[in-house]
Amino acid sequence: MAHDPPPSAASLLTGEESVLNHTRHINYWRRCLKTFLPWQYTSNDSNRMSLAFFIVSALDLLGNLDSGISAEERQGFIDWVYHCQHPDGGFRAFPGTDLGELRNEENKIWDPANVPATFFALGLLIVLGDDLQKVKRRECLMWLTKMQRSEGGFGETLGEDGRIEGGNDTRFGYTGSGIRYMLRGYITGPVDGVPDIDVDKLVQCINISESYDGGISEAPFHEAHAGFTHCAISALYFLGRLPESSLPSGPRHDDVIRGITNLPLTLHWLASRQTAILDEEDLYDSAEDELEAAHTQTNSSFVKLSSFPLKPREVPQQDTWPLPHSLQWAGMNGRCNKIADTCYAFWVTGALTVLGHLNIIDRASLRRYLLDKTQHIVGGFGKVAGDPPDLYHAYLGLATLAIMGESGVKSFHTPLCFSQDANDRLEALEWRKKLIGDWQTESLKN
Amino acid sequence: MTSYASDPAWADIEPLPQDDGGPHPLAAIAYKDEYSEAMSYLRAVMAKNEMSERVLGLTERIIGMNPAHYTVWLYRSRVLAALSYDLRTELAWLNPTALKHLKNYQIWHHRQTIVDALDSADGEQAFIAGMMEQDAKNYHVWSYRQWLVKRFALWDAGELEIVEAMLQHDVRNNSAWNHRYFLVFGRDDGVVVEQKTIDREIEYAKETIRKAPQNQAPWNYVRGVLRYAKLSPASLKEFAAGFAPVERPEDIKSSHALDLLAEIYAQEQGKSEEAVRVLDLLAEKYDPIRANYWNFRKSQLGSASAAA
Repeated sequence: MAHDPPPSAASLLTGEESVLNHTRHINYWRRCLKTFLPWQYTSNDSNRMSLAFFIVSALDLLGNLDSGISAEERQGFIDWVYHCQHPDGGFRAFPGTDLGELRNEENKIWDPANVPATFFALGLLIVLGDDLQKVKRRECLMWLTKMQRSEGGFGETLGEDGRIEGGNDTRFGYTGSGIRYMLRGYITGPVDGVPDIDVDKLVQCINISESYDGGISEAPFHEAHAGFTHCAISALYFLGRLPESSLPSGPRHDDVIRGITNLPLTLHWLASRQTAILDEEDLYDSAEDELEAAHTQTNSSFVKLSSFPLKPREVPQQDTWPLPHSLQWAGMNGRCNKIADTCYAFWVTGALTVLGHLNIIDRASLRRYLLDKTQHIVGGFGKVAGDPPDLYHAYLGLATLAIMGESGVKSFHTPLCFSQDANDRLEALEWRKKLIGDWQTESLKN
Repeated sequence: MTSYASDPAWADIEPLPQDDGGPHPLAAIAYKDEYSEAMSYLRAVMAKNEMSERVLGLTERIIGMNPAHYTVWLYRSRVLAALSYDLRTELAWLNPTALKHLKNYQIWHHRQTIVDALDSADGEQAFIAGMMEQDAKNYHVWSYRQWLVKRFALWDAGELEIVEAMLQHDVRNNSAWNHRYFLVFGRDDGVVVEQKTIDREIEYAKETIRKAPQNQAPWNYVRGVLRYAKLSPASLKEFAAGFAPVERPEDIKSSHALDLLAEIYAQEQGKSEEAVRVLDLLAEKYDPIRANYWNFRKSQLGSASAAA
């Protein structure tokens, strides 16, 4: 899916080379793996499965997982993930809801399996080298069909009387379709007596969430957002419903409903996310200047272009346009007119990678933004320049560099959000190969 | 804060400690005792499906420490229903809690459930206004606002005026622009979008662009309106050229005007040279961050795909 980046003019101007401090990142993640996370993570207690995924997968991406843990630890981690497996299929997001032996028909609604947590639990098991044989695959897929709402989108947990609880945005469509992909690939129709999810409806649900500007939002008419856009596009990958021009094998005129109804517009929106506005003060300054210019009507050559914060009149007339200093660092924002944030570097580059268009952004300045502005001295990445690292931004910062081919970081499988190595292991699982092989043989017969 | 173990009011409950599954838990957190204990009592009362006043206090304490706990909210809702609890009191409790946890999804869902049950939007628009003073682009608040408008048919209840005031305050607030689009084009009450409404929206966007031409939000908006109305972007050619006189590059005031011009030229017969010129201006001078994108657009000239 990746293309070679065109050389960036900006890189010619930088004297110092930005570097990924490999050792510090390993130390940061090993600390997270081997010691308790500080109590401030309590507000993320219910996301422990995703935090666990970030920690283990980051060490895998850095090439330090195999050498960094003993066989006993590896088995212990796998056991912990299975400990969170739900008796009726799927995984809990944390052990905190587990009622143990007191669980019964009346109280089980307080201890449900969780869709994003199940996606991360399966990924975590694959990264740890488990073969998923102890996953209650049939129950999990059966539960998954119950997590899809009548309009096509997925929820987070199953509640009282089978009601689907939680949001209704593309995060759940993404993780739900990812579970299906890991457990049954691109197979359509029933498997082992378990019906498929309604793929067409999920695609339709994604399509009506496209905003007027080409981004994708939480629901129809909500504001376009890079996170929801990434999740939608990765879901389409898992469902085999990307726009035809994005397929590696070229157009396939098979009349199925596909997602991203106006690819050029979505690319325009994604490309628009790159910004040199890195903090609220910059945003404020550029808005102030422009409004002032508009008010005083002295706007002949005074307008400060928000993504080009240099007054045109200050630029000497030359054949080649020198890039202003500030453009050396350009991050990604998540919505129009917001500031750059590490996680959107991932959501945007990831979406573009899946669409096969990573080459429309400026990778060099994005890389420098991550390495010079949000990479932290103790390892990891913070949300914005100067912030301390947290697991979420630290993982997505590292993942962005992996997507862009950073040396010393494993290559990345974007939709599954882990290394290509892990994806190779998933594809090599015997039971999965057989399941998919049998289905292919069967479809050829028909 | 007193511990539950020493509180006689909780003496009948046997706490259920967390089972973290063996010696190698992942992402284990150094919980404070207060949290561990409250969670142990929560599991114990959940196991008994206890519906009581004291459970409300317990859920409140846990929400204060971990508002993302997805079943504690559902449990609380069920207790409120079982006790026929006064929902106005619940809403009054939620207000400061929402302010404390601006980015939490569950709080907004809970609020939605309660306001839905109350069957009244009284005070909600004022509450939202207060939230937006803290953060005028909070995604959850805007989503909740859309739900409220649809649920209580507030289409003509001052929403458009609020959006206009917010845009006057910050013309770059894309969330406000999006809400405007929802109010005008997202109505589900059978009101048809008339031509004069489309004209009004185009004029409003143009007026805003005149005040601040290098603001992408209204450019996206007006292009969205044209697409909705199935009008060609070429109808904005003169307007865009006013902010991007290609013959006098020193007077160019908006990269977004150049972007639109390039799009218009790309669709016009025999104008690909002009399109190339505009895209070169963008790539080389007016929006070099996106040089790769503008060059990609050049490579697409002549093919049928166009973003407009």
